[in-house]
Amino acid sequence: MKPLNKIFYVIIATAYLLAGGHGFAQAPAKGDLSLGVNYFITNNQVPYVMVRVKTKVDGRFQTVAGIPMTLFLDKDSVGTTIGKVVTNEQGEATAFIPPSLKKQWNTSVKHTFLASFDGNKKYEPAKGDLTVGKAKILISTTDGKSITASVFEMKDTTWTPVKGVELKIAVKRLGGDLPVNETPTFTTDSTGTVAADFKRDTIPGDAKGNIVLIAKIEDNDQYGNLSIEKTVPWGAKFTAVNKFNERTLFATRDKAPIWLQLIAYSIMLAVWIILAYLVFNVFKIKRLGA
Amino acid sequence: MENLVLDEKIIKDLLPQKFGKAGKIWVAVLVAICLVGAYAYYRQLRYGLIVTSMRDYVSWGIYISNFVFFVAISLVGSLITAVFRLAGVKWGSPLTRIAEIIAVAAIIFASLIIIVDMGSPERFYNLFTHGRIQSPIIWDVIVITTYFFISLLLLYYPLLPDIQILLRFKAGTNKRLYAFYNFIGSFWKNTPEQIKLSEKAINILCIAIIPVAFTIHTVTSWLFATTYRPGWDSTNFGAYFIAGAFLVGAGAVVVAMYVFRKAYHLEKYITENHFEKMGRVLVLLAMLYLYFNINEFLTPFFKMKESESAYLNGLFSGDFALLFWFAILTGMIIPTVVLLFKKGRKPLPVFIAGIMIVVGAWFKRYLIVTPTLLHPFLPMHDVPESYHHYFPSWEEWAITMGSLAGALLIITILARIFPIIPIQETITEQHETVE
Amino acid sequence: MNQETNSRRDFLLTGLLIAGAATSCTPKDPFESGAEEQAVASGKKVKLLSVDGEIIEVDEAFLKPVPHLPPVTNTEARIGIPGKKFVMVIDLSRCKNLKKCQSACNHAHELNPGENWIKVEPMQEAEHTAPYWEPTTCMHCDEPPCVKVCPVDATFKRQDGLVLIDSDRCIGCRFCMAACPYSARVFNWGEPEISPAIAAQPYSCETSIPQKKGTVSKCDFCADMTREGMLPHCVSACPNGVFAFGDMNEDTVTNGAETFRFSDLIRDKAGYRLMEDLGTKPSVYYLPPVARNFPFESGLENDKLQNK
Repeated sequence: MKPLNKIFYVIIATAYLLAGGHGFAQAPAKGDLSLGVNYFITNNQVPYVMVRVKTKVDGRFQTVAGIPMTLFLDKDSVGTTIGKVVTNEQGEATAFIPPSLKKQWNTSVKHTFLASFDGNKKYEPAKGDLTVGKAKILISTTDGKSITASVFEMKDTTWTPVKGVELKIAVKRLGGDLPVNETPTFTTDSTGTVAADFKRDTIPGDAKGNIVLIAKIEDNDQYGNLSIEKTVPWGAKFTAVNKFNERTLFATRDKAPIWLQLIAYSIMLAVWIILAYLVFNVFKIKRLGA
Repeated sequence: MENLVLDEKIIKDLLPQKFGKAGKIWVAVLVAICLVGAYAYYRQLRYGLIVTSMRDYVSWGIYISNFVFFVAISLVGSLITAVFRLAGVKWGSPLTRIAEIIAVAAIIFASLIIIVDMGSPERFYNLFTHGRIQSPIIWDVIVITTYFFISLLLLYYPLLPDIQILLRFKAGTNKRLYAFYNFIGSFWKNTPEQIKLSEKAINILCIAIIPVAFTIHTVTSWLFATTYRPGWDSTNFGAYFIAGAFLVGAGAVVVAMYVFRKAYHLEKYITENHFEKMGRVLVLLAMLYLYFNINEFLTPFFKMKESESAYLNGLFSGDFALLFWFAILTGMIIPTVVLLFKKGRKPLPVFIAGIMIVVGAWFKRYLIVTPTLLHPFLPMHDVPESYHHYFPSWEEWAITMGSLAGALLIITILARIFPIIPIQETITEQHETVE
Repeated sequence: MNQETNSRRDFLLTGLLIAGAATSCTPKDPFESGAEEQAVASGKKVKLLSVDGEIIEVDEAFLKPVPHLPPVTNTEARIGIPGKKFVMVIDLSRCKNLKKCQSACNHAHELNPGENWIKVEPMQEAEHTAPYWEPTTCMHCDEPPCVKVCPVDATFKRQDGLVLIDSDRCIGCRFCMAACPYSARVFNWGEPEISPAIAAQPYSCETSIPQKKGTVSKCDFCADMTREGMLPHCVSACPNGVFAFGDMNEDTVTNGAETFRFSDLIRDKAGYRLMEDLGTKPSVYYLPPVARNFPFESGLENDKLQNK
């Protein structure tokens, strides 16, 4: 775990055994879950909470699917419920902040997200929480292919620049983002700003050469995960060509090469016409004998 | 007048006979083996191919080698009937029926054994509803079907005059059999028009069956040669397979000739001269096959490419050496040597040579399939220990033996209901020699 | 079944994050711009709370990631994702045969015990050359020999480069296994040992679940994960970053922690593909085992379990 990583793994209890009373066999020890709460906000729009549920099996953490949890904002009460969620196959469950919590949301610049699991047959009850402050991130570009990104946090009622926040500036890609130059991370200055030069010339974009830039703060102690995207026409124009519809030996049956079909079917036809003639011939002989 | 007496004698000699005691035991044994095979197949259907010893590396085992063996034997129908007929070889005519019966039995079991090898045989229909013309398996399906029909026709046409004789002489012996003869051949009246049509059809068949027979065996070799595997990746494969098929087919015919001759006392019809001639044919074919074997193994041996060296060494001096040299010696060299001598071409030695050829050929097919699969390009790794070698399980043996017994059963049954030597043709030839 | 309805409810209840800026929200922020162009508005609006504490309406189509898309149909699974060309880079200098990739893969695809889609092979080209560990997956060849020989279209090549298997179609002839020079394919010889709940699921070509008796299976590059923009299980499971995965059309591969420009990586580290001479044109590239992170011997201990 990185020191900056503010994921609280709350391990509630060590394993205990339910001593069997009269008529009860000894129940197996239940597993412990850890609920890691993460906060995300993309493009300064809608914040959401993602809880990752893990358990330790043979000394290794594994994610757990199908764990029902209730998420709360700031305090564990009915009025502050964010929602009920169940973890998916990756052991993750996600929820956004419902409009009903508008009042509670606006009471403070800092909020705590609580995740609570009531326990079931296999696992002990577990809780997790995370406190973050409201922040936003902005991105701008110049024609000279340089990028500036600024980070602001909410202080009282105004957005104030923040110094010393680490962020990444990258090109958005499948499964991971490609840094725009050799610098892996940038740190904001006193104006809350970083600047980066785009050094990924000729990287393929879409048909118009558009690529999506992304500036992101990852696993920040105070602000969680923030990202913002911007589309710029800095990539190479790229249109995918594929041989999917070509007639090849490895294409599907309806895309068999013409030459192959011609040869195969004409041979088949020739032979089977002869066979059909020979069968017909039997009937001809039969008629002669009748 | 003299002719008529002779005819009667020929007909009496050649009519299919009821099973004697030995025949009944023979059939019972074959049925028993088939039943064991059927039980083994039931187990395979129930538990899956896990009952075999095939695993991820050796994914094809004796089922496929047995399949190749059957396809090879079936080629004989075209050799004896078509090649001899087109070449005007008169002495071959008493052997044609035997050859055709063997061909039909073998092709039936070739198609059955390939279904046995399938992991999901219940989806067999996918081959027709989703067949891809790009796949050599589909070529094989098409060609096997075609060859089966063409073999049936080639069995059927020359039978027509004989059925008429059967109907005449077998009246009242067995009702159901009689009805069957009646159904398939009552219309044959030996009229000149019928004979003319039939002759023409047989000629067409003899011409058509040769390319089809070549195709079936070449396509079967392509199941291997279209892959990259060492030992299979060979442009020689089609010809190599055809040469081997001719040899094993002819071997099977001499074995059948000898057995039928003894069992049905056909010494007058299948004469020592036939064995003498077939012996010569076998020498030619064995040497041809040997030539292709040398061609197939000497050049890679000379080069010893890295990807092939383990495979080749395994055959020449490794795990498979015993089997390999056994197959070469008994399947080709010893029969050739024996048959080169005049005394070696007497019926018994020819019969023994035939058995050696057939047995050698069966193991040769096994050697074509398995050693290659045990020498993949990347090392065999991260798999259970049992994946590293192959010895067939009892189910595989039972099914394989069952299929061989089944083919013999079909031959036996066909020999029971049809004359194994064409009667009408023998009579005609008799008349020609008398005149 | 139950699980599926749960997750569906989960999705309906909570929805998910917003990818691009929603078109309907008033863009107070001038810097926001058109990453949303790629998504097409569905017309269905969802009310959400913004960071500014305001209620905004967002089109459902922009909710992302969408982990529970309706399952793709067989036809869609056979065509693949347009505009993508998946590629993998395996860095041999980083592999010490931990086999984490293998166990993650086996777990994710509910493989039979003893069955491995990923194999880590000890390689040594010649007596005096250096040994190294080589993980092999399906190569997802661009001219796949296995697909060429399949008689029933059970295995097929997609437009995004993946070679997948339809276990509902496969007849179990195993020709593809003989044709594959990389020995990538495995066969379900018996009834797979999987839970009845999983076995009862309808088969999906993209998840390759459930395995079925008498059919062939192999590495699928986790087609279901890549469809959702996630990395295959082996990539995320490897602690040493051996595997990098990406879209060739984006010229980028990533192992989760590091992201590389594919063409630079291959050029700088002299990447190559296995058995290039066979003409199969694999989608998996290897970086040679130079300047290694671990000695070869460090992987031997771990190898003993499976390979006596």
